[in-house]
Amino acid sequence: MKKLLALLLSFVMIFTFTACSSGNAPAEPNEPGGKEQPASTEPIKIGFFAPITSPAASADGLSAENSAKLAVKLINEAGGINGRKVELVSYDDGLDTTQAVSIAEKLTTKDGVVAVVSGSYSGPTRVAAPIIQNAGMVMVSAYAIHPDVVNAGDFIFSQSFPGKVQGRAGAEFAVKTLGAKRIAIIAVDLDFGTELGDSFKAHAEANGAEIVSYDKVAISDNEFTPIITKLKEKVKPDLIYTANYYAHAAEVVKQCRLQGLDVPILGTEGADSWQFLLTAGDHAEGVYITTNMNRDDKNETVQQYIKRYREEYNLEPDMVGASTFDAFQVLFEAIRRVGTDPVAMRDAIASMTDFYTVTGNLIRYTNRGEAVKPVQIQRVENGQFHYFGEITDLNIITPDE
Amino acid sequence: MLLQQILNGIMIGSVYALTAMGATLIYGILRILDIANAGAYVAGAYFGWYIYLKTENLVLAFVLSMIITGLIGVLIHRFIYAPILSKPRILPIVPLVASVGLFTLTGDLARLIAGPGTKAYNVDFGVDVINIGKLTIVPAWILIIVLTALLFTVLWLVLNKTKLGLAWRATAEDADIAKAVGINTNSAMALSYILGYGFAAAAGIMVGILYNSITPALGEVPSYKMLSIIVLGGLGSPVGTVIAGLFIGLVETMLSAYNLTFIPKDSVAFVALILVLLIKPSGLISKTNKI
Repeated sequence: MKKLLALLLSFVMIFTFTACSSGNAPAEPNEPGGKEQPASTEPIKIGFFAPITSPAASADGLSAENSAKLAVKLINEAGGINGRKVELVSYDDGLDTTQAVSIAEKLTTKDGVVAVVSGSYSGPTRVAAPIIQNAGMVMVSAYAIHPDVVNAGDFIFSQSFPGKVQGRAGAEFAVKTLGAKRIAIIAVDLDFGTELGDSFKAHAEANGAEIVSYDKVAISDNEFTPIITKLKEKVKPDLIYTANYYAHAAEVVKQCRLQGLDVPILGTEGADSWQFLLTAGDHAEGVYITTNMNRDDKNETVQQYIKRYREEYNLEPDMVGASTFDAFQVLFEAIRRVGTDPVAMRDAIASMTDFYTVTGNLIRYTNRGEAVKPVQIQRVENGQFHYFGEITDLNIITPDE
Repeated sequence: MLLQQILNGIMIGSVYALTAMGATLIYGILRILDIANAGAYVAGAYFGWYIYLKTENLVLAFVLSMIITGLIGVLIHRFIYAPILSKPRILPIVPLVASVGLFTLTGDLARLIAGPGTKAYNVDFGVDVINIGKLTIVPAWILIIVLTALLFTVLWLVLNKTKLGLAWRATAEDADIAKAVGINTNSAMALSYILGYGFAAAAGIMVGILYNSITPALGEVPSYKMLSIIVLGGLGSPVGTVIAGLFIGLVETMLSAYNLTFIPKDSVAFVALILVLLIKPSGLISKTNKI
């Protein structure tokens, strides 16, 4: 019995450990340090991390990892960059900041990568950023929203617009296009919800709308019935802004429709996922979101990404995936222009203008490393996100410098 | 609005009570805090989803998933907990650590086998909502409240009106004495796992239907909230667990309904737990092990 028990328990333990640390453990680099790239045919290594095994974030982790692999595959199909193949050095951060620190250390000291893409949330990206900055290496963060990510320094860029811009664009659309005057905000009680909710509130109020309620909901909480009942019977808003991730946004939408609260609902990029459409079902019809990917964009880059993603993974691409893909495009473009010298890459990205990506036209980077990009308004029609509008006013979409 | 919120609270409370019941039954008899119950909740939700996907029969999904998960519970007891507990002077933390390992394993297995993305039941009840006056009732709520009541009735009957139930209660009272007078304590323990894991599976399916979404992270909140509910209910008391579950459900609902968000909603269960431990350390229902 003793042996059997020991065996079983060790099995459980080993399994748990391997499950926590799977991901692709990269091979040790051939030369640990001090190498000058003599042969220009050597592959260009790019570091990457995403939350693959965290139960709560693994769906986003998968989208990010899929898109990272697709980006590398497509560039290699096209012959690589300046004749050199690209190689991905991929890690799983498990949505764990401790893990992210050791990943950043490995990427900057051992792995021989020329730059890093974060396909993870604000938490792991925020702790990795200063380490990568200090190593003088470029990192492009795909979709992490916290301002501290880019504040880490001049080598750290964000692929997308910051939360503040998206909240502002949402308010602009809600008040000016939809004519909302009494708005209820529901936001997830994390960096994500706070950034978006607060900036939405400020801009909506500045434009004459009233914020009639502001509910913050813990990420662990799935029950929105009490809030929607309150909104319907007491608060009576004429628009609901939901700064939540897809599971919560779907629940907000569903409860509103079930309880007969028929007012426009405006979501964010947090709802930009096939999982939102799946969970909310028919109730999602007519819901608006602010996001960075326009699925109806005729541009070849966009359509090729969507087509290839579906073919490769039999899944619908989402905001997280598209943003990760674009973070790689920014790096590829920089390497194509100036090679793999970190300082030259940094300057190339900082001076990039009108670079067309899957998530729209990257107009330029601010001095803080945040992208100036139009904010897309998508609307759910027949169970799919479709183009509804675009916020291009530079006063709205330019982040604070 | 108050009536509506009370209904919301009862619905959520029912789910909490059902989720925690498994852990209560197991604690009642084995004196271990079985975090793996939250794993049974995840496993049950996935089994139920798969069966419903293949058969479109909700009754079958509930019954089969509860049976499968219950039987897995029996196996886990037989091959993991029983050998641990059979050792003399075992530290109580050992089975707890094993249960945490099992719980983590379940979430990862769900992710590896079913994939990390959300799965949806998409159950069609025919009507979206039933309106009675100003009261809005979602069909899933009726399902939850009725099924919880039904399962608890079955539990009460099994524990109070059957020989096996008598054996369970005797074992819960004192396993050594029960054994000495010829009670098959093993079958009483098996009963705990069948019912406990079966109930957790039912709770998992209900939550899956209610939110139309199951993910590998489904068990994270129950894994800790369950603990406070069973302690609040007096550790091992099934009736206490029902009362504690409903209590927490109602308080949480009222907090978010009336904007009393000075504390996060999820901490309600723990604040209540601290208060109860300070004022009445034996839990809301102090005569443990009695139904």
